[in-house]
Amino acid sequence: MANLQLENLTKHYKQGKSVIRALDGVTLDIGDGEFVAVVGRSGSGKTTMLDMLGLLLRPTAGKLIIDGTDTGKLGDRDLARLRGTKVGFVFQEFNLLPTLNVLENVMLPLRYVSHGHDGRQRAEDLLERVGLTDRIRHRATELSGGQQQRVAIARSMVNRPSLILLDEPTGAVDTETAQQLITLLKSLNEEDQVTIVVVTHDLDVAKEAKRQIRLKDGKVVADEAVTPTAVA
Amino acid sequence: MGFAILAYLMEIFRNISRRKLRSFLTISGIVIGVLALTTMGAIAENFNALIDGGVKYFGSNIQIGPPDGQSASLLPISKIDEIKKVDGVAAAFPSYGFSAKPGAVNVVSFGIPDTIAASDPAENDWAALKLTLAQGHPIDAGSSGQVVLGSTIDKEFKKKIGDTLDLPVRPADAKPDFITHTFTVVGILNPTLTAPDTFAYINVADGQMLLKDSLPIAIRDQIDVSKITESISVYGKPGTSITDLDKIADRINAQVSGVKATRPSVIVGSFKSGGAIFTGITTAAALLALVIGGLSVVNTMFMAVAERVREIGLKKAVGATTRHIMGEFLLEATIIGALGGLIGYGIGALITIIANATTPPGQSTLFLLTVRLTVLALGFAIALGAVAGILPAWRAARLDPVTALRNQ
Repeated sequence: MANLQLENLTKHYKQGKSVIRALDGVTLDIGDGEFVAVVGRSGSGKTTMLDMLGLLLRPTAGKLIIDGTDTGKLGDRDLARLRGTKVGFVFQEFNLLPTLNVLENVMLPLRYVSHGHDGRQRAEDLLERVGLTDRIRHRATELSGGQQQRVAIARSMVNRPSLILLDEPTGAVDTETAQQLITLLKSLNEEDQVTIVVVTHDLDVAKEAKRQIRLKDGKVVADEAVTPTAVA
Repeated sequence: MGFAILAYLMEIFRNISRRKLRSFLTISGIVIGVLALTTMGAIAENFNALIDGGVKYFGSNIQIGPPDGQSASLLPISKIDEIKKVDGVAAAFPSYGFSAKPGAVNVVSFGIPDTIAASDPAENDWAALKLTLAQGHPIDAGSSGQVVLGSTIDKEFKKKIGDTLDLPVRPADAKPDFITHTFTVVGILNPTLTAPDTFAYINVADGQMLLKDSLPIAIRDQIDVSKITESISVYGKPGTSITDLDKIADRINAQVSGVKATRPSVIVGSFKSGGAIFTGITTAAALLALVIGGLSVVNTMFMAVAERVREIGLKKAVGATTRHIMGEFLLEATIIGALGGLIGYGIGALITIIANATTPPGQSTLFLLTVRLTVLALGFAIALGAVAGILPAWRAARLDPVTALRNQ
């Protein structure tokens, strides 16, 4: 489980003489084991916020504290280590490596962070959990979009992260597959107590979250618990 | 962990095989470079072995010849006694040398021509370049008509112990008065990779007999060849340095008239400079080819980085540090270098082995593969791959993960 504290988190980009306020002083807490959907129109700052939560981007101002660690004080190597041990990523385009088979793709993060001797077993267990045991030796290119996304989810879990960040995870799959992925995410959240933050345009995904944060022009304009009627 | 390393290496090989034609061309560049380095290096090593033998031999004694201006290479043998009186001289031996195949034409040769060398067998005890017998025994003291053959000349004439050999070898167009003598092979030397391999050793008395044969008929019977030598080899006490041998040479020149002692350092310097020039030319040509191959690795790795931007972003997202990414691309470039090196060295070694095996008897082999050359060829290919990978790997490692992940 991960506890995230965003204090006046800000990310500005210079574009010529103008300044783009991708994230503009966001302050919020995301508690252990939450399932949060971040919604908003394109350009609202969702992906920037996700990148910052995943320690891929450094803030222009403000603080991001993960489990009590002020990430602004960490060097690049420590950030990479924290990313490798605490954060799992799932992207819209899956980002599986074409030269690796399914098992190798899931095990990829183990290459960069220390883990016990159970890495391979863990990867095989996760593939069984996402229903891909029979595809373990296949290349990513031999899988359907939904299968590839399930591999990506298994990969995001292999290091036992406390936080999983998903960027439009259902954007490249059909409706039925999207529903299967949502079910999988819910089980990870509930059974493994993993904190999940998902950036999405998909209302079906957003309504399954326990909390919804709406961004507009880099600012939080709504932050509320989700009820079936709240996402309409 | 073992599985992870294996998977990691497998990924690198799959990446290399992902663009088959490009990888083939890149590795071919290295192969050609290493092939050139191996073959040309083997020629240089062969030449160097020859040079090293000369350096070893001539660095351990002083060569005495006729004084400047005297055309005939003849000295009174009594000069040996005069020379032995010079401070620092421990031993002095007469020596004679004749072409074993007079009239033979060697337009291009990397070896020493077949030579009949007459010297005192005891000289071998003083020389730094020790000759050892593979078969038979040394020439018996006081005997005549015995010969010990070097390894190459023995193969050329296909002789075994007890066989006879007529020396000098009669040319096909020899005149009726051409004289040869029959010698019995009593010993065959181990290879030295230098001059003695093409030498036929006879004793001093037989050498004087051949010297007489070589004199013009008009004066042949007027000269007592037992009182003449062609040159004299002078030794200091065992362990005398080349600097001290130079000083002894200077003393001989000052104290003994009618001879010219050449400083060993002059002869050794001449050998070394000749070897250095040859090695420099061959190695530079090969390295040039290899560097061009290295540039193709740089190009390939830059293209690989450009194609795998998203992959780099993903790896950073799952915990890879700048050092991890740099290490992976460096390793890939190094493996390309190593593959090219192994294949190039393998082909080069095969060529040299076949060429040496098919060298006609009597001709010195052209190539010498040494451990040093092997290490140089493979080490340079691997190092070249690694160096060629530095810039592309640095570029890959410095990629911003956010930009990389969303690269189209």
